Amino acid sequence: MVAALVLSESEQVLTRARAGDIAALEQLYRAYEVPVYNLARRICRSVEDAEDVLQETFFEVCRSIRQYRGDGTLWGWIRSIASSKALMRLRRNRYRDTDELDEEFHQPVTRGESGLRMDLEAALERLPDLTRAVVWLHDVEGYTHEEIAGLMGKTPSFSKSQLARAHTRLRRWLGEEVA
Amino acid sequence: MMGDHLSIDQLLDLQESGVEPGMARTRAHLDSCKACRLEADRLAQRSARLRALPSLRPPRDNWGGIRTRVEAERRRSFLRRAALVGLAAAATLLLAVWLRPLAPVAPASTGVAEARSRSNQLEQFLQAYDADSRVTNGRTAHLAVDLEDRIALVDRQLEAAQLLEARQRDPAMLQLWRQRVGLLDALVDVHLTQASAVGF
Repeated sequence: MVAALVLSESEQVLTRARAGDIAALEQLYRAYEVPVYNLARRICRSVEDAEDVLQETFFEVCRSIRQYRGDGTLWGWIRSIASSKALMRLRRNRYRDTDELDEEFHQPVTRGESGLRMDLEAALERLPDLTRAVVWLHDVEGYTHEEIAGLMGKTPSFSKSQLARAHTRLRRWLGEEVA
Repeated sequence: MMGDHLSIDQLLDLQESGVEPGMARTRAHLDSCKACRLEADRLAQRSARLRALPSLRPPRDNWGGIRTRVEAERRRSFLRRAALVGLAAAATLLLAVWLRPLAPVAPASTGVAEARSRSNQLEQFLQAYDADSRVTNGRTAHLAVDLEDRIALVDRQLEAAQLLEARQRDPAMLQLWRQRVGLLDALVDVHLTQASAVGF
């Protein structure tokens, strides 16, 4: 993927994309469709929602590529659009309340035959929507609490507390609690 | 701290870059507590494992749908721009029509020359026709005299217009020469109608 990102950030492709060249816009899509979909799928609950976010994100990229001035990386710019769209999708679907699910998932998750990685996938999937979004944006995408707060329209304290809750639950569900 | 150990919140705070001076005590505890260091390692490993999860790929190619939407929006945008340009052109045309009396398209002097030339042609025709030597009925004679009187009046107005300032003179001369051409045309018509009526 790194090679594709480097290729896509080449000035030539960007210049053509800014001029509205459909082939250049498709090149950007091909380079970034997997990381955008992955981010969307990790935040949203369904494949359909993630596909919608993917389409919304690249529609926005095609419309606004002229506004990208090269201040940060192109991926950083596209990722901020994707994160915003994914969180909007969560809000539209009225994300599941954090505390309501606390009791539901109180029992530890037993390890399946597929191994530890599947356990982590399953545990991540079981986190409440906003908590899962925070842990993904912070631990995987590298956003700061201030940035997450900006994306979610919440405070940095909210982001910090959600991250702590996420790790507390993951630790319990993965059977990692210190005796 | 939870009892003798650090909470997850505290361990997460220690992971953040730029740890505040107030965290020195927490860090000192971490350095001296084996259980908390183990917990911190697990926390870091868990984050690393999250980052190592395989990338999920879209189940189908979505580019076709995106491209269709982009092209549809471009068409809508083009039509909006075209409508705006059309509106602007219509407004300009209306403005031009509204301002027409104040700003004639062609210079007045050009119009005067054309009207004067046409007037000369009609006068030459009337001289060649020699209406005075022809038999005319009373009605035709009356109409012809009336038209000739009005042409004479226009000629006097043309002489007076010569004395006006250039800015006012040209439009006035143009109007008077056109009036003269109109009257001469009517005079020609009167004579020709009379001629056809008597079988000339």
